[in-house]
Order: sequence, then C-alpha cells, then structure tokens
Amino acid sequence: MKFVFFAVFSVSLFAQARLDPAALLQPLASSWPTYNGDYSGRRYSALSQINASNVSSLALAWVYRANPGSDQAGGGGNVPVIKSTPLEINGVLYFTVPDHVWAIDARSGRPIWHYEWKNSKGGWHIGNRGVGVSGNWLYFETPDCNLVSLNLKDGKERWHTEICDLDQFYYASVAPVIVRNHVITGVSGDDLDIPGYIESHDPATGALQWRWYTHPEPGDPEAQSWPNVEAMLHGGGMTWVPSTYDPELNLIYFGTGNPQPVIAGKARKGDNLYTECIIALNPDTGKLKWYFQPSPHDTHDWDAVQTPVLFDGEIKGEKRKLLAQASRNGWFFVLDRATGKSLVTSEFVKTNWAKEVNEKGQPVPNPRKEPKLDGVLVSPDQGGGVNWPPPSFNPETGLFYANAARAFSVYYLYEDDDKPEGWGGNDRGGWSEAMLQAIDYQTGKIRWSHKWPGNGGGVRSGLLSTAGKLLFAGDTNQNLVALDPEQGTPLWHAGLHAQMTNGPITYELDGVQYVVAAAGDSLYGFALNSAQR
Amino acid sequence: MRALCLLFAISASLCAQPGPRARQPIDPAAAARGKKTYLQYCINCHGSLAQGTEQGPDLVRSVVVLRDKLGSALGPALQKLPNHKTDLTQAQIVDLSHFLRDRVEYTAMNRHASRPPNVLTGNAAAGKEYFSAKCNECHSPTGDLAGIAGKFQPDELQQRLLFPRRKPIAVTVRALGAPPVSGTLERIDDFTVSLRDAGGEFHSWKRVAGVEVEIKDPLSRHHELLDEFTDADIHNLVAYLETLK
Repeated sequence: MKFVFFAVFSVSLFAQARLDPAALLQPLASSWPTYNGDYSGRRYSALSQINASNVSSLALAWVYRANPGSDQAGGGGNVPVIKSTPLEINGVLYFTVPDHVWAIDARSGRPIWHYEWKNSKGGWHIGNRGVGVSGNWLYFETPDCNLVSLNLKDGKERWHTEICDLDQFYYASVAPVIVRNHVITGVSGDDLDIPGYIESHDPATGALQWRWYTHPEPGDPEAQSWPNVEAMLHGGGMTWVPSTYDPELNLIYFGTGNPQPVIAGKARKGDNLYTECIIALNPDTGKLKWYFQPSPHDTHDWDAVQTPVLFDGEIKGEKRKLLAQASRNGWFFVLDRATGKSLVTSEFVKTNWAKEVNEKGQPVPNPRKEPKLDGVLVSPDQGGGVNWPPPSFNPETGLFYANAARAFSVYYLYEDDDKPEGWGGNDRGGWSEAMLQAIDYQTGKIRWSHKWPGNGGGVRSGLLSTAGKLLFAGDTNQNLVALDPEQGTPLWHAGLHAQMTNGPITYELDGVQYVVAAAGDSLYGFALNSAQR
Repeated sequence: MRALCLLFAISASLCAQPGPRARQPIDPAAAARGKKTYLQYCINCHGSLAQGTEQGPDLVRSVVVLRDKLGSALGPALQKLPNHKTDLTQAQIVDLSHFLRDRVEYTAMNRHASRPPNVLTGNAAAGKEYFSAKCNECHSPTGDLAGIAGKFQPDELQQRLLFPRRKPIAVTVRALGAPPVSGTLERIDDFTVSLRDAGGEFHSWKRVAGVEVEIKDPLSRHHELLDEFTDADIHNLVAYLETLK
C-alpha cells in the first residue's frame, strides 16, 4: 500500500516564540503546532527516537500541575481538568482549562506564564480543547463566548471579541484552527433550541470574516429535511471540535452536533440537515462544498463532531483523497474528501439502533429505537461509541484507531406534547466496556481489538501514532499505554494519578523526543534517558 | 454533547451552568402573577406553554425574551410590536418577565425528568413466561426476588433488571511455582492484578508470562442479556416483577 504524504505543518525554529504562518504547510517535523499536530488530523508523528525496541525504558521527565488559583478555574473552585491538546512551539507548551492558558517549558515542565480570563460572565465550564497559534499570537475561546488573542511570548492580551450569545445559552470551548488569514472558531451549547455555526475571524483584529450556520437556508432543497422553517432555525448542530484542512483542495472539514430538541424529535421529523454531518467548507468564503450525514434524524445526542481525519490511500485499487471518521453513533465512515461520496460504512462497535445502510452509505435509524415514554434499550449510550477525544491514523499500518466503548442505556422520553423543546428526555443507567479498535480503512473491518481490562465505562483520552511503531493511548485504569500498532499488544505503560483526559502529543528538542499526556490537572512529560536514545 | 459533563466531571459544580452567571432569579409569586397576565393577554397567539402558535412566535425561543432582564427588553418590545398590549404597568411587565424566564429555565432543564417515567406497559403473563425460561436458574420469585416490587419503584426495577449494581468479582490467580490464590478482585489492568482473599489479605501480581488470571463476574449473564432482550421482553419482565409485592 502506498500513501501519498499529506502536506501539513512544521515550525521554523525562530529565536523568538513566533510560529511562521508560511511554515504551516510543511510536513510535521519535530513540533506539535496545532490541535491535531498537523492539518490532517492523523495525529501521526514521524519521530522515532522512542520506538518499539526501547519504549520499555521510557521514563518520567517532568510533571506540571496546573493551579488556576481562582474559583473560576474551569471548575468552580474544584480541581481543573486538562482536556486540551497542548501545542509545542519552539520549546514552549501552550495549553488550557476553561478561562486559563499556560505556557510552560517543554523541556522541564516549568511555568513561563499563566493567563486568566477574569470576571467570566458564565457559560458551561466543562472543558476547553486548547489554543491556536499564528505568528506571535495565540487564540483561545472562553466559556462566556469570547475569542481572545494573547501575545505568545508573555501571555498579554491583545484583544477579545464576542463569538456567541451567552443569553441564548451558547458557550465556547473549541480550540481555534488557523488557516492562513483565518481564525476558525466553533460554538457549543445544547440546553435550548439554538442554531449552530462556525466562524472565521481576522487574525489581526478578531473581526468577523464569515459565519456559516449548520442549517440550510429557507428554500434550499435541504430545507425539506425539516418540517418547517422554525424547527430548522432552532435545530442545533454545534461545532464542538476543531477542523481539519486540505490545502490542495482548500477545504476545511468539521463535524456538526446533535439536532435540537435533543431527545424528543417529534416536531423535527426528517433528516434535520446539517446536524450530525461531516461538512466541507471553503475557508475563504465560508461556502459549503459538500456534506455527508452519519446520523440522519438523531434522537440520542450522538454528535458527529469527531475529528474528520484526512489521508490519501487506495479504495478498491483506486487512489483517492480520503476522509475517515469514527462517529459517536458507533459507525465508521470513509469518504472521498473532494466530493463527500461515501466509500466505506461499517460498525466499529456493535450497535442496535440502525435498521439498514442506505445507498448513500448512511445508517438508517430504526424508529423502534427512538426514545420512548416507557424506555428503550439502546446501544451505544449517550456517551457514544466514541466521544470528543481525538483518534489517530497511521499511514504505515493503514489502520484507523479509535478508543471506543460498547455501551447500553435506556432512553426515556419526558415530553410527549406536539412541540417538545430543549431535551425533552434523556438516557439513564448503563453498562459499558471499553476497547481500543484498529480499523482497516479499506474495508471498515476491525483488524484488532484490545479490550481494556477492569473498569467498564468509556475512556476519555485521545490517541497518538508515531513512526517508532507505537500507538499511545489512555486506558480505563489511569495508565498511559504504548501499544504495538500492528497487533495491539501493550508494550509499556505509566500509571498516572488519574485517567488520561486529553490527546497525547510528541515533539523533539535538543535531540530528545518527548511524549506528553494530561491526566486531570497535570501534564506528564516522558522521555528516554541518554543511555537509551 | 454536554452529557460528558455528567460522565466525566469530577464534581457537578465543574459544569457550572448554562447561560450567563448573573441571571434573573425567578420569584415564584411574580411568575404566578405573570402567568395570569399571560393567560389574559398573550395565550391566544403564543400558546399555553409560550411555545408559539400559527398566530404568534415561540417566546421560549425568542431572543428578546432570552436577553430580557426584569422587563428590560420585554417592555420596549411590547410597545413596538403591533397588536400587543401597550398599557401594561411596569409591575405587570416584570411579572410577565418572571413567568417567561420560568418557562425558559424549565426548558433548559427538561433533560431531567419532572416525574418518574411510567414503565408499566408490558404484559405480566408474558414476563412471567420469560422469567421462567431465562431467569429461574439464578433467581426465584419466592426467594431473592420475593417482595422486590415493594422495595423499588417500577422505573428503578427496570434499571436494576438491565444494569444490576456491581457485585464482588471472583478471581483466581495462578502463578508458576506457587499455589493458586483466590479472592475478590480489587483491580486489574493489562499490567497488574490484585485481589483480597477470604482472610482479608491483599495480594497483587505483575501480569507476566506464567501468571494466569481467571475471572468470574457474577453479572456476566446480565451483560449478555443486553444483546438478547427485546424492548417488549424488558417491559414484560418489569410488569411481572411488579406483581412480586
């Protein structure tokens, strides 16, 4: 199998903290300069100093415990949880919890600066995915709906601008993605029936360049996927997770969230476009290129926001530019990313909610598995077959990896009137088992599955692949684990003080490769000692 | 998406709350007065739940209402909009604001059940038949399940039937050159296993070649049933269990 290498990022080693925007289109080298490391979303690093032959000697290099020092630190006075993926740029790591950004020394884990967004006006403080960086500037979103730009070297605020309306119960949690002169932002919130959208902002001023709503315009053919305009304009579809980008096609790709009302779908009959879709947009204009909907008319809160991973490969002997997503509904999709045409559809965990796969490659919901007043047993549960933590694709193995769960719960309908709003129901209870799934992208079949022993429940950690023939993952038992990506055999682990809470990263400085992962309020840095390098 | 809040947060307060932190507190008495005003002047067009009709828009979804603070947006809107009551007193507008804010907050929280779901929709006789065929091996209506319906509400019965509370898991570890050790599983991952034996002693092993682990989860059959149950089976079984007063 031959893969066409997908153009991505690298960082010029400037003397200052600066990240050269022109360097963003180079292949990923020794740094980790954006949420997914590069534009492709593969979370694959070519670094190989740490490899299958020496990973048994991988050891702790440093720990940094984030102390927000206030009672608004993403936790109302409680311990913050690092769900962001740190960026590594010129020897500095940048990461967040809600309302807070840190810069720490990537060699030692020692703090450089800490910025607090003071006097937050509210919003859910459940998590923040991290920052985006371009030039001398850093960008992040606050729970109370602001996009904030900081000076990379000292964390001083340059400007902030409102990107959503707190009064409508929006909030903001996404790591901005920088595409040339665009800062791409997403929005969050699903308590009330509000429309989702994605925006582009000017990197210098924060001024809005364009906004694209995740619903069709009245009169569009796709508007027929809603019973009426009011339902469509209040139909949800948040943009919770950072985009990926193909510079050649000049398209950004992202997933959209659940339709509203979330559980009670009685007054939104139809497919409910563009909720729970994979979307391709032109980043210069915000114009829609294509869409594919993994979950038509969802009533289970299964956002299709999981990272759309971009790589080139062969399907049935034909070379193609591909996009793959392991979606929260338990299904795996491979699309032609130029057209959105479906190429592979398969379950990556066993589910019970779809009655068939249609000619477009979509699983079709079984109406019997829609929430009911007396309850209906559904798999996966609301947490999904996967959730927001990022997957990984390894071009050497041709395998797509998902830290997955097989889970059941009972979905109840609470609101049975003709026009339910909000959620109108929920799921309850549950049993689950967690496993790492290696999916053959050409067939959608599971090449290997490694069940995490012990605690049931989902895992909330992302994945990292490296050219060192390693796959890094968090298990359900507070371990960071390195596995053989071909077979799924665990090769190394480190016990952390909590379950992993973000996607691990890797970078190299002074000839030393580091692996960094977060667990709860702490970042852990690992490296080989000099004798093992 | 925010279900993650419940699944993953260290404490509920980690999740703060939706919307602005400084939000209009709802005075129940004012909301009750506002409801009377609403019923008198607004219900015909905006509907009994303020969710709109063909004659008037949904007020729970109204940006004016969502941005309103004690009538700050509502009052001017009533003056500006055609065919609206323009001579309400400021006190009436404030009361109306409390009523509409109450509707908004109710909607934002309706992922939580206001009353237990009615799950008694099955056929008890069919449930008894299923029980006799599939459950009798481990359970008895006159033994461990005698009077079970008196202990739990029907919705809780349904949940416990599907997702029983965790029970101690039996484990035996056989390490080369040592007698097997059995006990209750404390923890297992890919690298270590630990147990507490009948005498209360703690034991742990590295999971290396030569260390075999045998686990017997008493709930494994329940987990298998999740793939076998139809929803009718579940409702029938709950209806049957409800007869075991």
